[in-house]
Amino acid sequence: MSQPPAIRVADLSVWYGAQRALTGITLDVPAGQVLALIGASGCGKSTVLRALNRMIDRVPNVRWQGSAMVGDTDVLGPAVDVVALRRRVGMVFQQPNPFPFSVFDNVAYGPRLHGIKHPARLRKTVEDSLKQAALWDEVRGKLRRPARALSGGQQQRLCIARALAVKPQVLLMDEPTAALDPLSTAKIEELVRELKGRYTMVVVTHNLQQAARISDWTAFLEAGRLIESGQTGTIFTTPRDARTENYITGRYE
Amino acid sequence: MNRRGLTLHRAALGLAGVTGLVYAAMLASLLRDGWPLLSWRFLLGLPRELEAGGGVAPEILNTFSMVMMAMAVIAPLGLAVAVQRVEYGRDVWWTRELDRWSRVFLSVPGIVVGLVAYRVLVAELGWPVSILTGTVALAVLNWPFVAVSAGDALAGVPESLREGSLALGTTRWQTWLFAVLPEALPSLVNGLGLAAARMIGESAALIFTAGVNVSPHWGLAAPGETLAVHLWYIRTEGLMPDATGQAAATGIVLLGLVIALLWASQRLALWLERRH
Repeated sequence: MSQPPAIRVADLSVWYGAQRALTGITLDVPAGQVLALIGASGCGKSTVLRALNRMIDRVPNVRWQGSAMVGDTDVLGPAVDVVALRRRVGMVFQQPNPFPFSVFDNVAYGPRLHGIKHPARLRKTVEDSLKQAALWDEVRGKLRRPARALSGGQQQRLCIARALAVKPQVLLMDEPTAALDPLSTAKIEELVRELKGRYTMVVVTHNLQQAARISDWTAFLEAGRLIESGQTGTIFTTPRDARTENYITGRYE
Repeated sequence: MNRRGLTLHRAALGLAGVTGLVYAAMLASLLRDGWPLLSWRFLLGLPRELEAGGGVAPEILNTFSMVMMAMAVIAPLGLAVAVQRVEYGRDVWWTRELDRWSRVFLSVPGIVVGLVAYRVLVAELGWPVSILTGTVALAVLNWPFVAVSAGDALAGVPESLREGSLALGTTRWQTWLFAVLPEALPSLVNGLGLAAARMIGESAALIFTAGVNVSPHWGLAAPGETLAVHLWYIRTEGLMPDATGQAAATGIVLLGLVIALLWASQRLALWLERRH
């Protein structure tokens, strides 16, 4: 497997219509490492995430300035093939959103639409992806069952498997455990640690302990601005900015 | 629950009971008058103008063929409008107008559509009062219904499903075809079933366009009286001695068709949903 790319966001500003969502964000994620984005609701964490796979294109009247390099491509550049970009940069959402198909067909959805027709190859891809997402042992022999019959935590790992099946280099996760119970949350966190190194990951989370447990780097945003970013250990033990300290110690208002 | 709530609850229950009784009485009179006439001869025979013992075979055939043909035209058209509106639609003035007018057209009485179709197709263009003319009237009348119900079905698909598909690097078209459509299919089937049931029961739009006559030979230019129009015709102008029984028996067949159609479409929708 090829080396995952580094991510460099430089001076990124985003507007939704007249409303400014991000102001001059600059961030670095070294190849194969995990960045946690923390901050209050509405601070722009999700916008950063959605800029990286151009999901922000879905918002009418969206505008941006600055650049976001994933490897050697500026994903915000005008000539970027958005559909091809999203194959490289996968995404997992807050609510598990499996398709109305079987477990197998959910994972095979991406590969099939990208032209893999051969049954044996497809099966191999599905099996590998489910194994990588630590779901294989729970669903083997039940691949024909409806995906929505799985538990919430299993559905979320299925969505991770579905994203991995198109062989991305980057994985974006938007509060992946917000809808899950503690046990399922622990499994997803374990999974993030296992996938580290093979994928460069950006995780939005409201769970500060989670950020501390799973990430190498942490960035704290407030009102669309980057307040502080750095190695997770440093941010959580000796933050430079008082606002960061207030937030991580729960004195945020 | 407080006393007042309980009283209202009982009043609602009582009213529901009265409504049920009214329907039961209508059904009972229909069955009393019509049941004795129901036979293969009635279902497979030709109607008679002046003697007793006529049948409704051409009416059944006309009803089926006209509804199917109208459906074949408006199902894809309605779906196309819905896709344009829900998947690609932007909130600009003309789409808002389109929405408003399709909802207005939903409540246009059938008789108005029938008269307009008569004026344009029969009086101006010289089409015969026929199956084809009636089909056009049916399609025009029910097209907004299909467009609106298909739009509602697509709008009911959560945005998260579209994003889940797009995030895998699929095109908008692939996302619609392979993720949104399967999710919306049960409600789409339900809506189409309802539209077909509406068309089976339609009479006003067809009286002037498809006519009150039948031909023993089916054809696009042949007169196309449907079951519902036949029922109306017998009750208003029928000269056959068994008119009451004929009308009731026709009503039973009509009711049976609608029930069978709705039952089948709901079963299909349920089956599609269970597969998820």
